[in-house]
Amino acid sequence: MLTYIIRRLLSVIPVMFVVSIIVFMIVHLTPGNPAFLILGEDSSPEAIADLEEQLGLNEPLYVQFFTWLSQVVTGDLGTSVYSEQAVTDLIFANFGPTFSLMALSMILLLSIAIPTAIAIVALRKTVLDPIFTSVSLFGVSIPDFWLAILLVLGFGVALPVFPVAGYIPLAEGFGGWLYHLLLPSFVLAIVEVGIIARMLRDSMLESVNQDYTKTARAKGIRERDVLVGHVFPNALIPTTTVLGATVAGLLGGTVIIETLFTIPGIGQLLIDSIHRRDYPVVQGVVLFIAAIYVLVNLLVDLLYTFLDPRIRYD
Amino acid sequence: MKKLLFLLVSAVALFGLIGCSNSEGSANTESSGNDSGEPVEGGELNVAISADPNTLDWMYTGESAARKIGWHIFEGLFALNQDYEAKPLLAESYEVSEDGQTYTINIREGVTFHNGDPVTAEDAVASLNRWLKVSSVGEITNEHVESVEAVDEHQLKIELNKAYTSLLSDLAAPKSSAVVIPKSIAEAAGEQPLTRDQLIGTGPFQFDSWKRGDEIVITKYEDYASKEGETSGLTGAKTAYLDAVHFKVVKDPQVILNGLKTDLYDYGEGIPLDLYEVIETTPGIEAETSNNGYSILTTDKSEGPFEDIKVRQALNAALDKETIAKATYGNEDFYGLDGALFTPNQTAFYSGENIEDFSNYDPEKAKQLLEESGYNGETIRIIFANDYSDYKKIAEITEQQLEEVGFDVELESYEWATYLEKWGEPSNWDMVVISWSPFFSPNQAGMVGQDSNSSGWYNSEKWQSLISQWATAETEEEKQQILADLNGTLYEELPFEKIANVSNLDARSEDLKNYTSWYGPRFWNTWKAE
Repeated sequence: MLTYIIRRLLSVIPVMFVVSIIVFMIVHLTPGNPAFLILGEDSSPEAIADLEEQLGLNEPLYVQFFTWLSQVVTGDLGTSVYSEQAVTDLIFANFGPTFSLMALSMILLLSIAIPTAIAIVALRKTVLDPIFTSVSLFGVSIPDFWLAILLVLGFGVALPVFPVAGYIPLAEGFGGWLYHLLLPSFVLAIVEVGIIARMLRDSMLESVNQDYTKTARAKGIRERDVLVGHVFPNALIPTTTVLGATVAGLLGGTVIIETLFTIPGIGQLLIDSIHRRDYPVVQGVVLFIAAIYVLVNLLVDLLYTFLDPRIRYD
Repeated sequence: MKKLLFLLVSAVALFGLIGCSNSEGSANTESSGNDSGEPVEGGELNVAISADPNTLDWMYTGESAARKIGWHIFEGLFALNQDYEAKPLLAESYEVSEDGQTYTINIREGVTFHNGDPVTAEDAVASLNRWLKVSSVGEITNEHVESVEAVDEHQLKIELNKAYTSLLSDLAAPKSSAVVIPKSIAEAAGEQPLTRDQLIGTGPFQFDSWKRGDEIVITKYEDYASKEGETSGLTGAKTAYLDAVHFKVVKDPQVILNGLKTDLYDYGEGIPLDLYEVIETTPGIEAETSNNGYSILTTDKSEGPFEDIKVRQALNAALDKETIAKATYGNEDFYGLDGALFTPNQTAFYSGENIEDFSNYDPEKAKQLLEESGYNGETIRIIFANDYSDYKKIAEITEQQLEEVGFDVELESYEWATYLEKWGEPSNWDMVVISWSPFFSPNQAGMVGQDSNSSGWYNSEKWQSLISQWATAETEEEKQQILADLNGTLYEELPFEKIANVSNLDARSEDLKNYTSWYGPRFWNTWKAE
């Protein structure tokens, strides 16, 4: 098991290397020049050349790449072109809000999706099942920005229950944190709820008539306990796989939600830095996100062994 | 006013006495539309800003996001009054030598920096020396400056290589501004932008903290030494009633309005003009407008069809500017059709002469001019930044109007950073849609100033000679004549097509009292109702 984890972690290195090349190339081949943007439109060509030199942008691309890469290897992602802050500090400062948002949506997502799926499987022979199928399809199809605007107008402006924007760190109080994040987390979660609930329902329905469930019923176990104790755990394997992808989806969704709710997270940082051509920050953030993807996938693979002891990585 | 000041100064110089020009603009036209009541001390203000500035070093950058926060923190020796005239701010008085080449400036005593140190002539000299290097306005001034030296603790001397009457306008320009910072910081920063612990000025508010992409906080500076006299523009008495102002970055204007409705924000900046109706119909929120320069079409005069003046004349006749402005800015309160180099509210610089050819719409004449010209159906490439819907609208209507008279037009839109790079190369474009924020003397007019992309490579002897005449013009008549001639040159040589003077739209909560609108938000002298 330990060798497996080490092997998997080592295999992250070539992946990250390829990612770093791609990111670097995309960022630097995109037209635009931070020196122009910093100095403004009526700056003199000499001033721009000076600033380019200060920023090291006058070097050949491959020299810039290896200078950057040699820093990255030591854990230093460089310094923002605009602020005097280190990229790692910026990522650290902005990850809190994003992580809070993702964690809360994950909690909301699971606490809505799991009971709904179990209930629907229990009531699979009633009219509720086809209704659920269409409603979940509807949920998946709602664009999150549209839902966000509707909810803000409804629960922020017309009926001012929640704030329309803003963020308070967890360190400054749980109440304020939750109060500001509930609406954005809900929007982020609701789009994924449909997918996860459908996935769970489908996998559970597959095992509802398997031999082991029949045996369980024959032993006299109540239907409710059959579903929760036998059918549900077996449906978790495929759902976990999807859940791994959902984390990626949530991370992508935060970019839009953070803008709409003015939450100073990783998504905002990335968008701002792209507009400003803040090369070190864009590169650092994308590498960071790539690392999260890889780690989440590793975590999902490891989770299988806990969910199904028959799976072993030796 | 200018004439009077000049007479006073020269009379004083003649008699060899110390001149004191501590006279304030009498034409104070600031209108306070709200019933203010008694000032309320304390409280915090939440201001939604649409963009996080790249740096808060107001001396270094010309971007408006830095200016709107910067002028709360920093002050210069001179600053603009309500009518965009340069008036003393940190300067107590100044004196100009008879040949116009030496300016002796006395600094107000008792002014301290936010770090507690007193402001001395040494600080001002170090600041000006940095400004002459890093500021786009300072670079222009630098051509005329021989030396800047401290005479004693509160007096400095600026020696010019020849008479240059724009010096005070340059020193007061609120972009890349000549603000006074401590000598040690000016020297340590050099040509780099100030870091956040170097953001030390003399303004009524001091820099507190900056969380990038989230918020900038400024707090009341308790030991602020206010100038006396009526508040006007950036000069006169300033009182910070508020304990702190939080500038919060909010990119979506709809969120700003929702926040204003629910008391999350007290002021919102940079609202798109099409949301004006929403502001007007929402109780508790007031619209605030301010001068935002003008929008123009700049032609590439270095190559391609527009190198030919005939083609530019055809362009001038092909454009129905009223239609473009109406479709772009909607409400007539937000645009002004006026062809002058300066906007009418810049009373010190405005001349209404020689602008008849601004609205010269005549498609038949345009067709005829185009036929006479060397234009052979080449594709006119109009590039613009798609981050601003105004540019897109102007470009689209221009395309229609040009095609009607026989131009072949192609639109290309880019996001801002890409656009800036494309703009740099003449082969990438024939025309750009852009707007220029106000400038504060003729030599600062960026869209005609340099033989570079910003002017579309406009290199005119006539223009340059008028600009050098301006530098030595003494009487008001002379100045008015030059301003009229500059206007005339614009329509004779057609370096660009002016579309319309435009306004910036902000939204203010009614709870923010005694607020007056000018060239961007100012949060001194205002308070929050209890």
